[in-house]
Amino acid sequence: MEITPKGIRLDRELSDLDKFAIDFSRIIARHARYVIVSGYVSILLGRARVSEDIDMLLPEMDMTKWKKIYSSLTKSGYYCLNAQDAGAAYDYLRSGIAVRFAPDGIVIPNMEILFAPDKVQKLALATRIPAFVGKEKIFVSDLELQIAYKERVLKSPKDMEDARHLRLLLGNGINKLKLNKYERALK
Amino acid sequence: MNSNRKQRMDFVGYWADYVRTHADKDWSAQQNIIINSCLRNAALTKEQFLEMKHEKSRF
Repeated sequence: MEITPKGIRLDRELSDLDKFAIDFSRIIARHARYVIVSGYVSILLGRARVSEDIDMLLPEMDMTKWKKIYSSLTKSGYYCLNAQDAGAAYDYLRSGIAVRFAPDGIVIPNMEILFAPDKVQKLALATRIPAFVGKEKIFVSDLELQIAYKERVLKSPKDMEDARHLRLLLGNGINKLKLNKYERALK
Repeated sequence: MNSNRKQRMDFVGYWADYVRTHADKDWSAQQNIIINSCLRNAALTKEQFLEMKHEKSRF
């Protein structure tokens, strides 16, 4: 594994969760900027745990653009777990409620999508980094931002463990200036 | 920090060191045993999952 400021390069065997994340992200990337945040970032980088869902942030968008995304997903074999159509899902997203998509006939794993209206979420989108996994590419949150958010905002035991995993992977390569900047932004 | 949390944190440290010092194919093969097994054996319905997440379907 190679972690640089420009991105992450991995030569890992793909898990079912990775395959789901990569396929789903490829569809989204045709339409919008996205970033994967939270637990899956640590899992992709080796954390010894599983998650039933993956968190993805999208920029706020109009209904027309969202309908294209929704249509692409459903045509590609995904369904929405908690809304019956694109309009209902859009209402959820505009209200700050996540919508979830899973492969047809499956509940787990699923992708939990949120619009990114607030400052920290926009920061995550703006500072995303590519993770090259073999020949595939997905965009994940900047690792220092993940650490700061998990340690300063979420703070659950699971989140503190995720943050510790990322800290140890980064080792001396951690960008302390950036980390401090994010910590201040989260106060 | 209670004993259980300390043990968990210690394991996180041990495993992160393993990931740093071994080939990606090595640690990921071990990690995938956990991940794939959990996902393939998950038997929740949509309703059960959303209830577990304190969410409701809008159908």
